[in-house]
Amino acid sequence: MNAYVLGYLPLFDLFLLHLGLAYSQWLVLRSGVFSLATVGVAGVGAYTGGVLVVTYGLPAPVALVAAAIGGGLVSLLLAIPLARLRGVYQAIATVAFIQIMLSLNNYAEKITGGAAGLNGIPKVVDTLTLAVCALATIYLMTAITGSRIGRAFDAIRQNEAVAASLGVSIEAHHRLAFIVSGALAGFYGALEAFHSYTLVPSQFGFPFLIAILSYVVFGGRNTIWGPIVGTALLIILPELARPLAEARMLVYGLLLILTINFLPKGVADTLIERIHAKRLRAKPAPAPAPTAGS
Amino acid sequence: MALKLVNLSKRFGGVTASADVNMTVPRGTITGLIGPNGAGKTTIINMITGMMDVSGGQILLEDRDITRAAPDDICRAGLARTFQNIRILPENSVLDNILIGFHRHEHCSTLSALFGLPASRQETQAIRDKARSLLTQFGMSAYADYPAGGLSYGHQRKVEMMRALASEPDYMLLDEPIAGMNDVESDILAELFQHLAEAGKGILLIEHNIRFVSKLCEKIYVLDGGRLIAEGPPAQALRDPAVIAAYIGGSDA
Repeated sequence: MNAYVLGYLPLFDLFLLHLGLAYSQWLVLRSGVFSLATVGVAGVGAYTGGVLVVTYGLPAPVALVAAAIGGGLVSLLLAIPLARLRGVYQAIATVAFIQIMLSLNNYAEKITGGAAGLNGIPKVVDTLTLAVCALATIYLMTAITGSRIGRAFDAIRQNEAVAASLGVSIEAHHRLAFIVSGALAGFYGALEAFHSYTLVPSQFGFPFLIAILSYVVFGGRNTIWGPIVGTALLIILPELARPLAEARMLVYGLLLILTINFLPKGVADTLIERIHAKRLRAKPAPAPAPTAGS
Repeated sequence: MALKLVNLSKRFGGVTASADVNMTVPRGTITGLIGPNGAGKTTIINMITGMMDVSGGQILLEDRDITRAAPDDICRAGLARTFQNIRILPENSVLDNILIGFHRHEHCSTLSALFGLPASRQETQAIRDKARSLLTQFGMSAYADYPAGGLSYGHQRKVEMMRALASEPDYMLLDEPIAGMNDVESDILAELFQHLAEAGKGILLIEHNIRFVSKLCEKIYVLDGGRLIAEGPPAQALRDPAVIAAYIGGSDA
C-alpha cells in the first residue's frame, strides 16, 4: 500500500507544481488580461533560482524569494507595453515574450549553461514543501477574489467602460494582476528548478504554455476550483489512459475540443454553476417584481 | 455648487455632435436634457464622464476642471452614471453587481486586500450589509444571489441604478433610466429621484418621456443637432417654437 502511494508521489508533485502556474495564468485571465506570459516568467524564475544557488551559493529559500521578486518585476515591465493591447494582441505579444526568454536562456551560455542546461541544482523541495506552497497559493487566490481587488478584476473582465465609470482604475488593476501573476510564476519556476536537478531552456516553451493554458480552460476560468480540477484531471488522465499511451496526445486534444464545445466555462465552473442554479430553484421563487422604491 | 458645461464641443471629423453647449446642473434639483434621436444627448454624457475626448470647451465639477480627466478619476470625484443600453456584469450575481459600485469607498490597503487581512474582510462585510439594504429598499432582496444576466430588463435597470447609488455620488447622470419600465415602476423611480435631489444630489436626467421630464425637472435643456435650442422651466421650454419644430417638424420642414 505504502509503495503504491509512493509510486504516485512524483505525479502529485507535478500536480502541485503545475497548479501554482495554473493559478498564475488564471489570475491574469480573471482580471481581463489575455496574457500567456506565465511560462516565460516561470523560466525567468527557474533560472534566477537555479543560478543564485548553483553559481553564487545562496541558500534556496533566499533564491526562491529572489525568483518571486524577479518574476514580479519582469512581469511588471511586460505590463507597460501591453497596457494598450487587448485580447488576441496581448496573447500574441506574450507568446513572443516567451520566445524571447527562451532564446535569451539559450544564448546566455555563460550564465544559464545554454542548451546544455543548468546542472547540479540541489533537490531541496519535497512534496510537503510543495503542498504547503499550494495551500498558501489557494489561500492567496481566495483572499484576492473576495477583496476589492477581486471585485475590480471581475468588473474589468466583463466590461471595462462600466468598471471605469465606477471609479476602478483599469491600468492600476491590470498592473497589479501582472505583478502578482508574475511573482507566482517566478516562484513556481524556482520551485520546479529546486525539484529537478537540472534546467534546460526548451522546458519553458510552447508545449508547456499549452499545458498550463489547458488546465485553466479545461477546469474553469472564474472559480477558485477551476485550476485545481483542470490540473488534476489533465495530469491524472494520461496515467489512466496508459494502454492508450500511443494515442495520449490524441485523447488529450480531443478532450480539449469537447470541453471548449460543450462546457465552454470549464468542468468545475459549469458544475458549480449548475449546483448553484439548482439551489436557487429549490428556494421559493421570488415574489413577482415587488416594486418598492425609496 | 454645480456641474457646469462651458462651450462644450465635440467634432467627429467634419460632423459636429455637440456645438458650444452651455449647461448648469445644480445640486439639489433635477435638470432635464431632452432632444430628438441623434441630438447628441449621450455624446454629452460620454464627454462629462470622460469616456469620449472633448474637442473644445470645459467641464467643471464644482471647483475642479474635469475636462480631460480619466473616467475613473471622474467617478472618484463624485459623479456616477447609468447607461442607456444597460450594462450590468452578467456573470456576477445581483449582489456582486452592487458591491462593485462601492469601489470608490473602499480604502483598505492593497496589501491587506491581497492577503485577506482583517481590514479587507471587515470592509467587504460592511459593504455587503450596505448592498443588502439597498436591495431591500428596491424590493430586490429575493434576487440577491441570482446571476444578473438572467434578470428581466426592468430589473437589470434597477441593478444598474443601485450600483450607481452605491458609489454615493454627489452628481448622477441618468441616461434614459425608465426606458422599458411600466408606469408603476417609473413612478416609483420618480419618487426616488426626487428624494435624491432633496438630499442634495445634482441630477441630470436624459429622457424621451416628456411627461416624466416635465413632472420632475425644474429646468430642462433641449438639444437638437448638437446645439441647445431652448432652456428653461419645462412648461416654457416645451412651448418654444424651435422645440416644437425639432420634435414634430417646423412650418417650413
